[in-house]
Amino acid sequence: MMQNNYLYFDIAATTPIDKLVSDHIHDLNKNVYGNPSSVHQLGQKAHNIVSRSRKKIADLLNCKESEIYFTSGGSESNNIALQGILNPGDHLITSSYEHPAISNVAKLLEKNNIEVSYINPDSNGIINPKQIYKHIKDNTKMISIMYANNEIGSINPLDQIIKLCKSKKIAIHSDAVQYVGKKNVDLSNLGIDLLSLGAHKFYGPKGIGALYIKNGIIVKPIFIGGGQEKGVSPGTENVSMISGMAHALEISIKGINKDTNHILEMEKLFFKLLDDTSIKYKLNGENRLPGFINITFFDFDGHSLLLNLDMKNIAISFGSACSSGSAKASTALLSTGMKENIANKTVRISIGKFITEENIIHLVQSIEKIIES
Amino acid sequence: MKNTEKVLVAMSGGVDSAVALLKIIESGYAAIGVTMKLWEYNNVGGNTLKDTNCCAIESINNAKLVCERLGVPHYTIDFTEDFKEKVIDDFVDEYLAGRTPNPCVRCNSYVKWDSFIEQADKLGAKYIATGHYAIINDKYELIRGKDKHKDQSYVLWGISKETLKRTILPLGKLTKKEVRKIASDNNFENANTPESMEICFIPDNNYKRFVREYAGDRIDYSDEPGKILNEDGEKIGENEGYINYTVGQRKGIGLSSPNPLYVKKIDSKKNSITVTDKNSLLSKKCYVSNLNWLNNNFKLPLNLFAQIRYNGDISEVSVIKNENRILANFIKPQLAITPGQSIVFYDKNEVLQGGGIIELYD
Repeated sequence: MMQNNYLYFDIAATTPIDKLVSDHIHDLNKNVYGNPSSVHQLGQKAHNIVSRSRKKIADLLNCKESEIYFTSGGSESNNIALQGILNPGDHLITSSYEHPAISNVAKLLEKNNIEVSYINPDSNGIINPKQIYKHIKDNTKMISIMYANNEIGSINPLDQIIKLCKSKKIAIHSDAVQYVGKKNVDLSNLGIDLLSLGAHKFYGPKGIGALYIKNGIIVKPIFIGGGQEKGVSPGTENVSMISGMAHALEISIKGINKDTNHILEMEKLFFKLLDDTSIKYKLNGENRLPGFINITFFDFDGHSLLLNLDMKNIAISFGSACSSGSAKASTALLSTGMKENIANKTVRISIGKFITEENIIHLVQSIEKIIES
Repeated sequence: MKNTEKVLVAMSGGVDSAVALLKIIESGYAAIGVTMKLWEYNNVGGNTLKDTNCCAIESINNAKLVCERLGVPHYTIDFTEDFKEKVIDDFVDEYLAGRTPNPCVRCNSYVKWDSFIEQADKLGAKYIATGHYAIINDKYELIRGKDKHKDQSYVLWGISKETLKRTILPLGKLTKKEVRKIASDNNFENANTPESMEICFIPDNNYKRFVREYAGDRIDYSDEPGKILNEDGEKIGENEGYINYTVGQRKGIGLSSPNPLYVKKIDSKKNSITVTDKNSLLSKKCYVSNLNWLNNNFKLPLNLFAQIRYNGDISEVSVIKNENRILANFIKPQLAITPGQSIVFYDKNEVLQGGGIIELYD
């Protein structure tokens, strides 16, 4: 998609909102203003929109609607999952390359006398289920492993982790924010206990997400309010965004085969064109999400490549960004054992469903111009 | 003449760098705004909620707003590791050694300019620009800024001649008042932000707290409580730990005396400070280390003018070689020549000749 002549290869950071979704949200904002908790008809209308959205999402992910809780996004979902389950004296197993919305929560929990084990991914960015199994102890209460890594795109064998490590007293959670909408998810067959998702990674709006909590799993709320979302995430429901998220997920899941095929074609073209140049590169990670290209250009500094491409109106990503807009070498890559000087030459190019052949040709030409100049 | 060269403009988020950017754009250059992130909130402690410090998120946001308004890209670049190693660590080491460092000089000499030039190369920019109040003339000489109250040439002595050749200082011939007016005429968000006087990485301006927290176990007072000595070496009181004092300090010594007392000497090894009256604080000589001469044709001895503190007066000095060391010998006695601070030499036309770090003469 070209917006103001800007080429966007950063859908791992966020996706542009689908026009059908933004129109839908806009209509709801104009026409439905009732509070879903109100008794009158306007309230009922809003309430039913939330209920229908919950049912739609549950159907798309194959779970019960009673298991979907709306939140403000992936970060809140992750916080509720970890802080809502773990108590002092418990043990958590997670990975060393989680998103800060898990890793920083884990650090906080450590201060509150919760033990945490951090499992390193292998050099391909994948967590070995046996490594997790080896770390299970008597007080292990929870395992939280991201479904797909946000920087490398590598997909973890969550089904194997669940099979190997499942026991009655260990709750298994996954931060699936990058995964949902790009791959099919069958929650009932997966057998997971908790799973986080966020709408803005599948062409939905920002500031809205959900937490799947399998029936029977009890989480204590981390903040208190009027009891909405069964007390798990209280506050007046963001009706239009909830409905927008359901709509966006439906579009993504229905189009998943077509979009995946297209993105993989674009990926193939990218590497074919790159191989025609003299640029030295290495693709990192295995079992990647479609369109996630974590790539080392051995002859160019990654941060500089980002800035130079930005000045040509092309967006990619480098390293771990922070709110000030600066970036350091990716902590995820370092945790796979990559040396810092290599990580500094590594960028993430993420291809969305709107990218055309012409866009890919322009991208590779621009990279070549910058690196070869 | 239209100039299409790219220029990297250092944006602190303050009014000076915003106007510097505007001047660069008006000169026809293709400007790129860059903010250097030098420290992290969670590493500096204290009250980081004050709103005037560079590198605070609000300052970076201000820089972004100005760049967007002027239609140029803005990037924040992380230099926290370099800054910690070369500036903050040195700052704390110097205090622990009983000296009074100038971190801005360290930053300009060892982090800011070199890193900036490196970034300029990476982004294909020929020049860098900053909002410092000083002038670089066509011979690449560094001269005091037009606004004598704001002149910042004192903190720029450590920059190499080669680097100066690629530096533009658009504010050198403007006064602060003029700069504020330009900012206000252009509706810059930060036109009225207050002057930042504190050390950027100590937002609460409490350097004693900072040194205590940062140094931790490294503060090892051999003698506790420490002694306050008179010039004859007799104990006349107790100090609160030598790191709490700087040479020339008058307030907060905690002794009553008919004449005001000043800190003359700090002995970090014995945790003692020596105090004296104002007259005994006067001296004429100091050694100079880390010398950087910007005048290629210098030959000692030289008669010049020297400044020994930021915003301080200048005074006639002869610079001579004394057994492999450089000695600055003032014509008139100077008050509190402070080891660790910079001594900066100018000629009679206010052209900066060079500078260095003040070392004790004894």
